[in-house]
Amino acid sequence: MIALVRFRLVGFLRTGRALAPVLAGLLTLGILYGGGRAEPAEAYGVSAVVLFPVLAWQTKILLDVEPDVQRRLALVAVGPARERAAGLLAAATAGLGLVVVALAVPWLVGGVATPTGPEDRSIAAGLALGLWAHLLALPAAVALGALASRVITRTAGYGVAVLALGVVLALVLGLAGPALGWLAPPLLPTARALAGSLSVTTAALLTGWALLWAWMALAGYLQARHRRA
Amino acid sequence: MYRLWHARLMRLEDVWLRYRRGGPWVLRSVTIGIGPGEAAVVLGRNGAGKSTLLQLVAGILPPARGRVVDRPAVVGWVPERFPADQPFTVQGYLTAVARVRGLSPAQADRAVRGWLDRLGLGPFQGVRLAQLSKGTAQKVGLAQALLRPPGLLVLDEPWEGLDAAARELVPEVVGEVLADGGSVLVSDHRGETARLPGAREWTVADQTVTERAPTGGEALVVVELAIPATQVADAVHRLRAEGHHILRVRGHDVPLPVTGPVSGAAAEAAS
Repeated sequence: MIALVRFRLVGFLRTGRALAPVLAGLLTLGILYGGGRAEPAEAYGVSAVVLFPVLAWQTKILLDVEPDVQRRLALVAVGPARERAAGLLAAATAGLGLVVVALAVPWLVGGVATPTGPEDRSIAAGLALGLWAHLLALPAAVALGALASRVITRTAGYGVAVLALGVVLALVLGLAGPALGWLAPPLLPTARALAGSLSVTTAALLTGWALLWAWMALAGYLQARHRRA
Repeated sequence: MYRLWHARLMRLEDVWLRYRRGGPWVLRSVTIGIGPGEAAVVLGRNGAGKSTLLQLVAGILPPARGRVVDRPAVVGWVPERFPADQPFTVQGYLTAVARVRGLSPAQADRAVRGWLDRLGLGPFQGVRLAQLSKGTAQKVGLAQALLRPPGLLVLDEPWEGLDAAARELVPEVVGEVLADGGSVLVSDHRGETARLPGAREWTVADQTVTERAPTGGEALVVVELAIPATQVADAVHRLRAEGHHILRVRGHDVPLPVTGPVSGAAAEAAS
């Protein structure tokens, strides 16, 4: 299965299409950090929110680069379960690359404020919380991208619609407050929590929520794949 | 021979298939089987469901009802059109597929080298897939299915786009898979089937599949022969020339002789 993950990553990286989401990501991060310096954890919380659509889009591109017949050949070679898992793993790996870029960008453009007082979080803590926030967004983004991929949506228009609707709903429902907020992955709640002092309970709750959401969306993807080779 | 007798018959048991819930049935109540060392040709008009049946047998499309039992572990599928729109060279692609198939780097290199030579793809090994002619791309499609010896080989219109010399390769490869105890399924609408003597005929029509006994209609008998090792190549060639079907050659390191591409081309020219 690792060989198939590698094959798909190479296929994705060799076509110029890998460039588009990376540029889009850099652009949004540039705008985000252009406004001034911020405390690392707080900045990373917002970074994870703006990166969510980019990660989902990148996943859709990665899965769609492979021709339909080649996907079926891979299925014959390794079986349906591993074929699907390899696609998701390849997308997650590519997403991790983008997350690393996102964590590095503020340091390169001077977008972070170093701690001044004893009550500020240390740089290491800020980085760790930033990584955590991005890792919460990644599985949900991969799941959304997979649901929008051509094998599920069949036509380009429908694919873009699923992707756009998913992103808009994730953000709008996140703003809607606790009643409907549970239907979206916890992007905005995580950003809000990072802006204040984050308790262990809240962190655990947000982690569980993000994983549960991603797990449900991935289950939907796998269910939909059952009839779509 | 021992392995042949004990390998299982792959069966489709009352299989129904449609592409979406509530959609029209593409295949209804298909019950059919294929054993080790057996070949079947799938016939039918355009759009009758030949490719669908092949993909069902290969395990790409799951049945909506019914089940497929005892499908061999290693399946090779040669699609009707090889997807050449991929950023790999011929050798890079085949090596990656061999690795995906679970071969070690050394095994993968050996298998790829063997099939590149065998199919005359050597001069194209560094060429990008997108730049290949249709026939050459089709050969890559054939090679990727054979990197691991398949227990079931499924070929969708394998003769499409192949030149005269290359067309001879298909029955040769099929013969080797059968001799190794594998099963082979081929779809064909051009009447190339005559190149596969002894194959069963499955006709797809009206959403169902009907089977006709092997061409010739006579029952087949397996004869075991003992031949001095030095004369094996000769005897196999002679028996094949007389239209007999060699199932397997066993003994001490005696490879099953195969017709090379050169004599294949000669046979094509003579016919």
